[in-house]
Amino acid sequence: MAVRLAELTAAQFIRRRRRLPASLVVGGTIVAALIVTAALAQWIAPYPYDQMHVRDRFQPPNLHYLAGTDEYGRDVFSRLLIGSQLSLVLGATATLISMAVGVPLGLIAGYRRGVTDEAIMRVLDVMLAFPPIMLVLLILAVTPPSLLKTAIAIGVLAVAPIARVTRSVTLDLMSGEFIEAARARGERLHYMLLRELLPNVWPVLMVEASLRVVFAVLLGAVLSFLGFGVQPPAADWGLMISNGRAFVDTAPWISLAPGIAMSITVIAISLVGDGLREVLDPKVGGR
Amino acid sequence: MSALSLPSAEPLLEIRNLTIRYRENDRQVTAARNISFALRRGGSLAIVGESGSGKSSVAGAILDFLGPTAEVTGSMLFEGQDIAGLPPAQRRQMLGRRIGAVFQDPFTALNPALRVGRQIAEPMVQHLGVSLPEALARAELALREMGIERAAEAANAFPHQLSGGMKQRALIAAALACGPSLLILDEPTTALDVTIEAQILRLLSRLRREKGVSLLFISHNLGVVRRLCDDVAVMYASQLVELGEVNRVLERPGHPYSKGLLAARPPLAAASRDSRLAAIAGQMPTIAEPDTGCVFAPRCPFHEPRCSAGPQPLTISPDGHRVRCWKADELGPWPRQQVAAVMQPAFRRGDALVNATQLSKTFGTRGGLTSWRLWVAGGRPRLHWPPTQVPAVNDVSFSISPGEVLGLVGESGCGKSTLGRLLLQLLRQSGGSVEFDGADLSRLPTQALSPFRKQAQIVFQNVGSSLNPRLSVGEALERPLALFSLAQPGYRTRRVEALLDMVRLPAAYRTRFPHQLSGGERQRVAIARALATEPRFIVCDEPVSALDVSVQATIVNLLADLRDALGLSYLFISHDLAVVAQLSDRVAVMYRGRICEIGSAAEVLAPPHHPYTRILLASAADDEPIPEPPASATATAAHSGCVFATRCPHKLGPVCDETPPPLRVLSASHAIACHLDPVPNAAVLPGLERLQRAAERFA
Repeated sequence: MAVRLAELTAAQFIRRRRRLPASLVVGGTIVAALIVTAALAQWIAPYPYDQMHVRDRFQPPNLHYLAGTDEYGRDVFSRLLIGSQLSLVLGATATLISMAVGVPLGLIAGYRRGVTDEAIMRVLDVMLAFPPIMLVLLILAVTPPSLLKTAIAIGVLAVAPIARVTRSVTLDLMSGEFIEAARARGERLHYMLLRELLPNVWPVLMVEASLRVVFAVLLGAVLSFLGFGVQPPAADWGLMISNGRAFVDTAPWISLAPGIAMSITVIAISLVGDGLREVLDPKVGGR
Repeated sequence: MSALSLPSAEPLLEIRNLTIRYRENDRQVTAARNISFALRRGGSLAIVGESGSGKSSVAGAILDFLGPTAEVTGSMLFEGQDIAGLPPAQRRQMLGRRIGAVFQDPFTALNPALRVGRQIAEPMVQHLGVSLPEALARAELALREMGIERAAEAANAFPHQLSGGMKQRALIAAALACGPSLLILDEPTTALDVTIEAQILRLLSRLRREKGVSLLFISHNLGVVRRLCDDVAVMYASQLVELGEVNRVLERPGHPYSKGLLAARPPLAAASRDSRLAAIAGQMPTIAEPDTGCVFAPRCPFHEPRCSAGPQPLTISPDGHRVRCWKADELGPWPRQQVAAVMQPAFRRGDALVNATQLSKTFGTRGGLTSWRLWVAGGRPRLHWPPTQVPAVNDVSFSISPGEVLGLVGESGCGKSTLGRLLLQLLRQSGGSVEFDGADLSRLPTQALSPFRKQAQIVFQNVGSSLNPRLSVGEALERPLALFSLAQPGYRTRRVEALLDMVRLPAAYRTRFPHQLSGGERQRVAIARALATEPRFIVCDEPVSALDVSVQATIVNLLADLRDALGLSYLFISHDLAVVAQLSDRVAVMYRGRICEIGSAAEVLAPPHHPYTRILLASAADDEPIPEPPASATATAAHSGCVFATRCPHKLGPVCDETPPPLRVLSASHAIACHLDPVPNAAVLPGLERLQRAAERFA
């Protein structure tokens, strides 16, 4: 549906803007701002993220260092900006991977039912039965860590829930008479899945996807915190929280700043998900 | 005796200037405008109108169901007390004790996790302070009073174990549990089969007589109202347009809208090819402004400039009849649509378009891996995979000639939709064969059906889900054209507009989405989509059941016009015998997967009847007591005799249970599957005769 939004002329968009839900406006603005700052981080960061100011260690937030400095005298604010790149890329990539695999699986399981459905869903059940952290650690611990591998590991985790959501919405749609009308025309599998089913599953998937981005960002941070994700001296929010742990009582800003940044990101993406659901509902938005 | 002719009697319920407005964001919708009526003690009043007329909002306002978005003004005097002004707690007490309510859908109204008896006992514990055991005992008595024979069993059952009719009885028992003086019924029989509907109406009329409870009955069906009510109020576009004694309104309606509603209802009689139902053109305005004139004027055939000059007052004639039309007294009957005389085509059995031979379909209820059950028998655990088989269609044979319409009647769950899908090969048969135009479809693999799919299409019942909500009308209609290469890409738009014109929708509807259309318009688009492949045969699966009476008439007329203009054959499936008779050349009556009677529409409606046909007709005409069907409506495979034997009032004995009934051929087109000689029930049903006479009056 993102394409549909883009197709609107400016005038239509302004007319529809009045009906946009507040959650989407607020969340979308924050997410857009995050993406812009992440993209421009190299240029707007006041200092290189790994530059150490040995004399300015443990500086609390001030005019020179907006979010203070860490134990090596590195500017926390600059590191936050650079770190946001990693978090956002990780969240988006992981979610794209899980959608790319999970959505087709769910559509086919829900459309075909019977043996196909059983086979797909039982395999996914097995995947769900693994404790998530264990699964990711298994993948990451045996090979050298990299961002792409972290994204794949987190993405694989989310395949099962996304496929389940897709399947349940598909099953619901299958009782719709327009599906039967399409079958009465003898439509082929790809048309049924892509034209009849997918556009109707999409709104639910958008909400689910925003939830998954949130999980991916959080899980990525957890992995960095545990030392399995991004390696120092790279700036990553999870890693920064982990490093600042030792100084929480004397220099809380080192951990707090990335924590707050993460909260804002997570809340903003959730808001976007909520807002999208309202806009994408054909009965509310007029498409 | 009408409440209106007795102004001195103190009414039980008096509604004065009730106005209901809903606020949605910045929009305001008026659901009821200055409604006033009175219901005397022990009386019964029906509020009749189409969906969106505001009739349910009136009930909701009395029951305090409307929620915070509704703004209710005016007074509602119940037993002399204005309940609108009561504090919430006191009002709830009053509603719980003195007013009972029953709603449309008995399938969702009961809590599936609680036993039925408990749910009837609950209000007594709440409002009368009765102890639970005492209340449970009373609940069982109440169920017996509702005509349920094994009341103790029913009280102990969970809702899913009861049939729809039993559930509705239980809900009526719950509504009456605290001995209310008023029972509000909001479409209580709409979700039920005709035979069950007749039983429930009979029960309500008995309860009214025995308990002296007053009824406020809300319905879209004017026909049902006569059996139960003294007075009728007709609502249109949030206004009361007519209020009067029931026979007066049904026999000499004053307001044009009432006339239209009555005329639009198909008579229970065979119709010739050139007959059409009287339809009300247009649709009900969603935001009507009565200040600018009569709200019905845009759809009224009697309309003249004076009607739109100013607001129409509700005038009261000397006999207490109220009509919101200034020239009600001078109006003639509702005009009928005229069509050029159509030749009644003669069908020869030999050249059938569709030919079903001993068609059967059995559904396995066996699911996937998860339906395995583990249970312990004799100390050892066993795995069990339930092998249940449910026959939905059982040994059915018939044929449909080119240009012929076969009507298929039966109650819900009888297998009529399954039969329609078998003919289209949307479901594959378990036995027998389907031939289309001489080709045996049952032998073709699914991939080879494409040429057949082009020639046979389907129109559905559920206007809410028959169109993909994400496709515009144009996209939905273009798809069949592209799929079967019926029009070059550049010409598709023109073809789509031609299709829209065929179903009498403006070409501009091409860009609309399903949610922007009314129910009737959606059904037109669905018909246009079926026509897009230029089919020769269409299965119409209850195409008008979900529509209002006036819309139903326009769709039935449209289907009849298309049949004559394009020479289409239909399998027209419906639970409503009157609608089927209106459109069909032949009618087949189906019960539990079998056809029990088939013949021309006139032959099926006239005696001799199959006992089940007779019951269907009697239910529609409200004639004689109808035997209760067994709780489970699905047949079992083991059954070898007549499927109708358990409900049959003319059952001969064991032969009915054990031997399949012979097909008695009465004429070239008429056959009845029954052990009974066709003589004993040969009399015309008196109620049916009365109905047909009434229908002739409006013709």
